[in-house]
Amino acid sequence: MATMGDNQLHIGGGSTPNSPTDGPKSPTVLPWDRFSNWLHCACVVTFDLELGQAMEMIYPGHVKLTEKEKMNICYLSFPDSNSGCMGDTQFHFRIRQCPGRKQTSRTHLLYNRECPVALQCDNAHYYGFVYFRQTKDKSLRRGYFQKSVVLISKLPFVALFSELSSIIAPEYFDNGEPSLEAACHDIDQWPAPLPGETLTLPIFGTVLQVRVSSRSDKLLGNTQRSQKTLLPAHSILPALYEVDIFSAFQSILPHIQMLWELVLTSEPLVSMAASPTVTSQTVHALVSLITPLKFCSDYRPYFTIHDSEFKEYTTKTQAPPPVILGVTNPFFAKTLQHWPHIIRIGEMMEVGSPKGFNKLKKASSLKTLDSKPGVYTRYKPFLTKDKMILKRLIKGMQSKRPVEAQNAILRRYFLELTQSFMIPLERYVASLMPLQRNISPHKGPPRLRPFDPDEFLKTVEHSGPQLTSGLKGDWEGLYQRFFRSQNFEGWYHHRQHEVNQKLQILHIEALCEANLMDWISDKEEVEIVDLVLRIREKLNFASNHATICKDNIQKLNGHMDTIIATLPEDLQSVLRS
Amino acid sequence: MSGLQRPPPGGGSGRPGGGAQQMKLVLLGDQGVGKSSLALRFVRGDFREDQEATIGAAFLTQTVNVQGKNIKFDIWDTAGQERYHSLAPMYYRGAQAAIVVYDITSTHSFEQAHSWVKELQKETGPDVIIALAGNKVDMAAETRAVMKEEAEKYAMEHGLFHLETSAKTGYNVQNLFQTLAQEIIRNDYVVTQTRHRIVTTADLLGEQSYPRRRTCCS
Repeated sequence: MATMGDNQLHIGGGSTPNSPTDGPKSPTVLPWDRFSNWLHCACVVTFDLELGQAMEMIYPGHVKLTEKEKMNICYLSFPDSNSGCMGDTQFHFRIRQCPGRKQTSRTHLLYNRECPVALQCDNAHYYGFVYFRQTKDKSLRRGYFQKSVVLISKLPFVALFSELSSIIAPEYFDNGEPSLEAACHDIDQWPAPLPGETLTLPIFGTVLQVRVSSRSDKLLGNTQRSQKTLLPAHSILPALYEVDIFSAFQSILPHIQMLWELVLTSEPLVSMAASPTVTSQTVHALVSLITPLKFCSDYRPYFTIHDSEFKEYTTKTQAPPPVILGVTNPFFAKTLQHWPHIIRIGEMMEVGSPKGFNKLKKASSLKTLDSKPGVYTRYKPFLTKDKMILKRLIKGMQSKRPVEAQNAILRRYFLELTQSFMIPLERYVASLMPLQRNISPHKGPPRLRPFDPDEFLKTVEHSGPQLTSGLKGDWEGLYQRFFRSQNFEGWYHHRQHEVNQKLQILHIEALCEANLMDWISDKEEVEIVDLVLRIREKLNFASNHATICKDNIQKLNGHMDTIIATLPEDLQSVLRS
Repeated sequence: MSGLQRPPPGGGSGRPGGGAQQMKLVLLGDQGVGKSSLALRFVRGDFREDQEATIGAAFLTQTVNVQGKNIKFDIWDTAGQERYHSLAPMYYRGAQAAIVVYDITSTHSFEQAHSWVKELQKETGPDVIIALAGNKVDMAAETRAVMKEEAEKYAMEHGLFHLETSAKTGYNVQNLFQTLAQEIIRNDYVVTQTRHRIVTTADLLGEQSYPRRRTCCS
């Protein structure tokens, strides 16, 4: 029987395909340019009887990884405590990039400008997507075949790259190096990941269809797109990064709202489970709980005792760092005993029974590796628990509602909660904007007024989250805690940057419209030169920002030329040089 | 019966009128016979003497209009090197059409074509339409090593359709893909019609200019 595509995924969204790879490699595109838009490299990690984990291959061959990066990749590509992960195991990790790499590529800059902030390309970390195979093989000395194929990327597209590694790795295990070569060449034909575009990505005889999320996407509302345009020959990924958060949290569902608070305020959090698959999914689900807010602290979906940050993160001489770790090695139960919040997850249940829910436990009671699943913490949530959402999800479990639907409910719930929390902050920041009439062409651009937490908290009483969320509790207390977190810092910096850019643009417009010749008529030479320099600065800014219209740039250039022409000749030549 | 279980290529009639039917097409054959050149001639209408060797496979798309219908080809242009042979099943799996290419100046490439045809007929369903293309007919007559009659006879015996082509001059290239598109439409039609039990396959296939292929219902 002829099958239509060997990798039919569950059908989610998708819209009409754009023209795929524009076929010809245009002369400006060098080999591997397109590949590196998506991946840094693909690695094969093997188990060497003398050396332990060892890097067998890095493809393409010219890609550089430092020794430290290689070591981290090697250790993170295998299950840590060999808990008999027989067969195939998939998971992902995140490591620090060694400093000193070249700047973000142009494609990634373009991507970062338009993509949702939480999904920005990360120039300080690599994500690794592992496909590990362990099978009995009598022909080998240890009697086991153990190998991993790892895709390394700067992009957090967990869903896409997990799918991709499940396509590439089995082929590699069957056919060896040529398949890795072929896969990388397929990827080197992929169009750039531009936000808002629906892309067709050819790989190994099938085509993956994905839509790259954009900052301007509507976050709420009907995300189920029309299914009319689905192409049966293609596999469609509903999103590049969305994973099954419901299954990840199933065993600790009653505590999920508390977990949202812990993640929002970037509390130290560790997730312990028997397999890297479970920890990496749980950690990813945790950081995505606060979407569309970006989780700005470090997080490690899978972390081992060999990690180069092991000492830094587990030291008992300082307070635990505000990071989220996923661990499997039982050793961590002891090492991280002093951590304030510990999630212990059993194997993911196939069919959940709400009976199995666990009560909150004190962190200090987690002593042994066989401690029961649950959340170990003394944390008192600021908000009261929403029993409705819990009931709804449990009902869904009882009536065997599809996991996709449960996920949609959960995702929407936390999206609304996060937005309820953020809207008052957004509104307050908007009030810090200078007034339009204060933008003067003859002065520098105005700046955002500084953020005053007390001033903000005064607004919470009458126009706080209670306007959009039914949840009761100490919202102010939660805000105060949030202000101390890196998530607040990251969000505020981003807003500040955005607003200042906007002010620059408004200032440029004001400068364009102003009658500068009139203004300089009674000014000293020094002031005129100062104005010329200021216009030049604007032009510099404009050349880096595509959002500024060409007309304005031309106008500015015109202004500058006429002003310079009014100056004495010696000064003119200085300014023009 | 497999044809009945297969959804019609391109998702059938549910698609809006402007949309094209999607077809997966794979190019197979020995190294250097001109698979990439044929694909590039078809898609871009140009030709390069120094076409570099393909690694793994290249992916191209091109839409053709046949009898008022748009057919969008997803073309998988595979590498001819033996090194990549074991990857080929990924590329022909699920394909609606295959072009097996040989070089008319090389008997070895013709023999290789035989083994590709054998593999395809063994590993894929009977619905896959296979074309046999003898490329490089622009070469001097005295360099010819595979006679046209010989290839036609072979094609006849194996239920393929055969054309001699030149990626360099463009001779028969459009014709090759157009014929495949027509045949896919006809095949699709057959599948659709048999599902509704209106027309017998024999009625439709009777007019074919090349040997009857096995169909889903024969």
